[in-house]
Amino acid sequence: MEISEERLEKVSRVKMKGRFDAHTTGEVEKFLREIIKDGRHCIILNMHEVPFIASAGLRIVLVLARELRKEHKGDLRLALLQPNVHRVFEISGLNNVISIFRDLGTATLSFSTDIYKNPKPESL
Amino acid sequence: MRLSIDAGLKQNEIENFIQQLPPNVYKIVGGDTACIEVRIDNKLLILDAGTGFRRLGLDLLQKVNGKPISAHILLSHLHIDHINGIPFFVPGMLPGNKFLIYSTLENVKALLQQRQLKEYFPIPLPPAFEFIHCSSQFYIDDILIETIALNHPGGCTGFRITYQNKILVYASDSEYKNLSVEALQPYTDFFKGADVLIFDAQYTMLDNINKEDWGHSNIFCGIDMALEADVKQLVFTHHEPTYADEMLWKILLQAREYLNLQEDETNVQLLLAYEGLEISL
Repeated sequence: MEISEERLEKVSRVKMKGRFDAHTTGEVEKFLREIIKDGRHCIILNMHEVPFIASAGLRIVLVLARELRKEHKGDLRLALLQPNVHRVFEISGLNNVISIFRDLGTATLSFSTDIYKNPKPESL
Repeated sequence: MRLSIDAGLKQNEIENFIQQLPPNVYKIVGGDTACIEVRIDNKLLILDAGTGFRRLGLDLLQKVNGKPISAHILLSHLHIDHINGIPFFVPGMLPGNKFLIYSTLENVKALLQQRQLKEYFPIPLPPAFEFIHCSSQFYIDDILIETIALNHPGGCTGFRITYQNKILVYASDSEYKNLSVEALQPYTDFFKGADVLIFDAQYTMLDNINKEDWGHSNIFCGIDMALEADVKQLVFTHHEPTYADEMLWKILLQAREYLNLQEDETNVQLLLAYEGLEISL
């Protein structure tokens, strides 16, 4: 997994490349927790180059989104999902509680606009 | 059925019609709790003694036609849904029958006897039940049984049963919170090469996270672990009691779609456990 962060004023955009599964989840979690520890609580995962997400990836997304919402009034949001990855979110029902955007711009703006604040807080 | 016959349909036409109905209409998953009958040559192994154990007892009585019954019962743990059939197991009350209960708990006999004190149930635990404290590996004749500690409140044991290169793994009641390949390795090693893996998939992914530490798992986790362990058949069990049959069959379809989305070619077969499901190896 290749993973890197781009810091905007308020939002951190994290670019991932590779499968998000049991083999890479530890690395991704460690990377994201370092960002959160740094006080960055508005995070977008750019998943354009993630061809597949497994249960390990789903769990980390859900757990960290919940933590960010409950403990830091922030959120973990997703952008640019490949169709297969988007479908996994639909099958698992997580698309109902995780905010998913078609492009990075809208995802970034969502943290600054009232209408997107905590768009999907239910059940988390 | 009567209406169909009156309408002039033939028996095979009726059966074909039933087979084409959605599974939630023609196949009842059932509400009995954990009990799995395992037949290996002339040996009878029973995995857990939930409410299904009561019906198994009646079935055994019909089959043996008065002859004595003996069986080896492997108990994963003593939560009520895994032992509730014991007081109602009629063969246990009949002389000449013998049932060896294997458990990794040392005080299982005393605990089960307590549950049948007269304040709880009018009949004490019958002497037909005998108890064996099992280790991490043991044999029942030529059948190798291995055990693993699972993640469940109060503890739970998984069983790997090997006989003549055929492997059945029973891993109900377990939660997997750290899904990294390293953290899962003890379990995937235990599941390795199983012809059948019976896996706790009680919750949807979301319910699983919201019910953290309740000690159960989900289909996605089961599929990923089965793929890592080269399992041939994965059976989802321990269904959430508040999910209707329709939802359980939908979850199975979701599981199959998730499997098909994997990049690699996979051969694992996915099944939903229901009352009366039979698998031959």
